[in-house]
Amino acid sequence: MTVQGWIFAGAGAVALFGALLAVGLRNIFHNILGFALAMLGVAGVFASLGSDFLAAVFVLVYVGAVAIAMVYAVMLSHPLDLPHRPRKGWKIAGAAALAAGVAAALWSMVRRARWLDLAPGGDAGAARTGARLLTDYVLAFELVSVLLVVAMMGAVMVARQRRPGRGAW
Amino acid sequence: MSGPVTAAVVAQAAPLAACAVILLWLRRRPGTAAALAILALTVALGAAVYMVAAVAVPNTSLLATSVWLPVSDGPGLAFGVLLDSLSSTMALVVAAVTLAVMVYSLGYMADDPGFARYYGFLALFAWAMLGLVLASNLLQTLVFWELVGLASFLLIGFWFERPGPAAAARKAFIMTRVGDVGFLLGVLLLIRAAGNATIPDLIAAAAPGGAFTPGFTTTVAALLLMGVIGKSAQGPLFTWLPDAMEGPTPVSALLHSATMVAAGVYLVARMHGLFAAAPDVMRFLLWLSLITALAAATMAMVANDIKRVLAYSSISQLAYMLMGLAAGSVAAGFFHLVTHAGFKALLFMAAGMFIHHAHSNDMREIAGHTPGRQRAGAIGLVAGSLALAGVIPFSGYFSKEAVLAALGEHAGTAVLALAYAGAGLTAYYSFRMVFLTLRGGPAQAPEHRAGAGGHAPEHGRSELAMAAPVLVLAALTLVLGWLGAWFASRLSPGAEEHGALAIGAGPLTALALAAAGIALAWLEYGRRGAARIGFVERMPALRDFFADNWYLDRLYAATVVRAAKALARAARWHDQTVLDGAGDGFASATVGGGRLLAHLQSGYVQMYVSVAVAVMAALAAWLLGGGKLA
Amino acid sequence: MSLPLVLGVATALFGIGLYGLLQRRSLVAMLIALELMLAAISINVVALTTFTGHDPSMGQVVVLIFVGVAAAEVAIALSLFVAIHRSAHDIDVEHLSELKG
Repeated sequence: MTVQGWIFAGAGAVALFGALLAVGLRNIFHNILGFALAMLGVAGVFASLGSDFLAAVFVLVYVGAVAIAMVYAVMLSHPLDLPHRPRKGWKIAGAAALAAGVAAALWSMVRRARWLDLAPGGDAGAARTGARLLTDYVLAFELVSVLLVVAMMGAVMVARQRRPGRGAW
Repeated sequence: MSGPVTAAVVAQAAPLAACAVILLWLRRRPGTAAALAILALTVALGAAVYMVAAVAVPNTSLLATSVWLPVSDGPGLAFGVLLDSLSSTMALVVAAVTLAVMVYSLGYMADDPGFARYYGFLALFAWAMLGLVLASNLLQTLVFWELVGLASFLLIGFWFERPGPAAAARKAFIMTRVGDVGFLLGVLLLIRAAGNATIPDLIAAAAPGGAFTPGFTTTVAALLLMGVIGKSAQGPLFTWLPDAMEGPTPVSALLHSATMVAAGVYLVARMHGLFAAAPDVMRFLLWLSLITALAAATMAMVANDIKRVLAYSSISQLAYMLMGLAAGSVAAGFFHLVTHAGFKALLFMAAGMFIHHAHSNDMREIAGHTPGRQRAGAIGLVAGSLALAGVIPFSGYFSKEAVLAALGEHAGTAVLALAYAGAGLTAYYSFRMVFLTLRGGPAQAPEHRAGAGGHAPEHGRSELAMAAPVLVLAALTLVLGWLGAWFASRLSPGAEEHGALAIGAGPLTALALAAAGIALAWLEYGRRGAARIGFVERMPALRDFFADNWYLDRLYAATVVRAAKALARAARWHDQTVLDGAGDGFASATVGGGRLLAHLQSGYVQMYVSVAVAVMAALAAWLLGGGKLA
Repeated sequence: MSLPLVLGVATALFGIGLYGLLQRRSLVAMLIALELMLAAISINVVALTTFTGHDPSMGQVVVLIFVGVAAAEVAIALSLFVAIHRSAHDIDVEHLSELKG
């Protein structure tokens, strides 16, 4: 097995382990930490596939921003002082069964398909990606920026405290 | 349209218009309603007189029809007017008696809150009865026959707030309906066999040499006879008529003595050619009516309610009319119908004057109100009873003689003997009624006399309205008897002529029996110090048997009524449990299903997601597995 | 390292994310699971473009835009959760069922 193969195996294991922590543990902060770990694993997978720029972006955005934002949100909204409520057995079983079923269906699709070329290759460099973003897909790029601005404004407006006597907004 | 035909149409249209106007618009104007009804009947009476003059006097016949329901092979159903001596005379009788009753009711029903409705229904009856009489086709007759039954139902149950009249009206309608089933079947068979229902055509087809076989004619005649038995209260279907006395007395005078119940007799007279071609049916009718005549006479002998006596008497006299017809003489039967209309209406109206005064139907109570003071009523009662008993020179004598003569010629000796016996009983019970009513009972308390005297001044005009028709009809009983020969020439041409004043064994026997009956009644009830108990009343078992309709109602209650009620209960159970249950079950299943499905809309996001994901997974699996429908 | 293997890892990640989405009661926990699913999808895209099309930059562009949108979505979602908590004092998804019936 190649170096890439080993990196992929390790990153994949980390990602899956982190995901299990993210959905399995009871404490919400532990879930967030597991999520961050999973995202690190995913970044490793990207790196093993040759998309190192993407790996960096993932670490920055998800681990750096999203997870932190989630911590903020948990602080502001979670009933941290209340005792944990017990989880219902049938819900766990049902969700597990359904998830397993969907995963099985997807996996069988993967197995049955006849893939064309099974060796990785091609130019995955950041320069090429950046060039494409700013030439062929510049519209999408700009729209995403507008979307981010709008999302920020929306988030602020939604989460504002309403002060009495100051009008609707 | 020629003159007489126009008159026929007018005679029907006038009461119909009056009925419609009264019932639609004049419910709160009793005076206007009564005036309109009387006006309409006067017009009808004038039209009837014209018809008689135009058709009956010269003894011609007119048939005017227009096709209503064309049939592919054959002339189709044509409605119209059949005018001859029989129908025009009957129309005259109907119009005259109805008019008299309407005038009488001005007094009798003066304080009734339903006054306008009453006149509306009377006009309805007049239209239906005239339509029946003048119909040219048997189906048309049937339609009016049922309408007459409807009018009877409405009028018997006029005071519908009380249970008695309501039950009596239902009983009348249902019992006559039982007979009408036969009538309807007969008409349908005739239409199917002959292609149309026009009366002259049917009679021609039934006559020997016509299109019908004797077996068919006999069947049809028997079926039509069922309707007659129901409507004219004969044989097993008579018990509705005594109960029908719950209606107002003028209604009893009009419908249940003179006209409606006579419709059955009229039908036999009208279709006589068909009946004559079925001699077995006629023989059956002869015996049935004979038994009915005697039975009804026995019931009249023990009744204490004056209207019931008259009701039984009507049944008995109708039986005599049918006997005359069954013996082959249309003239005799119809003549008796006409005179009976005159004197029975008279008797009812006279009785009504007493009832109105004494507020009771019981003869013994009426006697306590010194009815003798009501001169018109007393005259009417006596004159009518003399006619009923068949005493010369009153009309009843002549018509009864005609019937007995016909029986003597064509029926056996046994029949004749029993018919004479019935005549004797008739005289007995009618004068029992007279003496019980008019001769005061044992000494009355002073307040009765005071009460009787006190009534007179308040009701002056209504007394006149009641007295006038009574006196007119009483006068007529002396006149109508002389018309026998006229009827004979028109209705039974070719039969042997009997002089009106013929003396012979027959008439003398009848007169002797009448005298005997009257004498017996006087002996038991009339003379001073009489015990006022009849010879039958001394035998309690017999008295109860006669008084209770020969226990026929009890028999019906135990059998037919019980069966019908059981059937009704079963039907109700089925309706409530099975049908309603099915409907309710369907509804609750829908609601339950809806509630179940509502669980899908739990508002629970994770459930929505799981459903969506599950469906997609299933779809993927299916596509992977081949992805074909079916 | 073959394409089916990479896709298999992505599928497993997706399944775990789905389990979490269906099973957790807290809105934030559901969001975390959702993000896991999105990450799995991103892996799928990159893997497919790397292995079969020999044009990985295409996949990277797609995933970059994907990440941008996902970030915007997270921001709004979290502010919504805060607002919900403020008004209902509860972010248990089992209790937030006003769309019921």
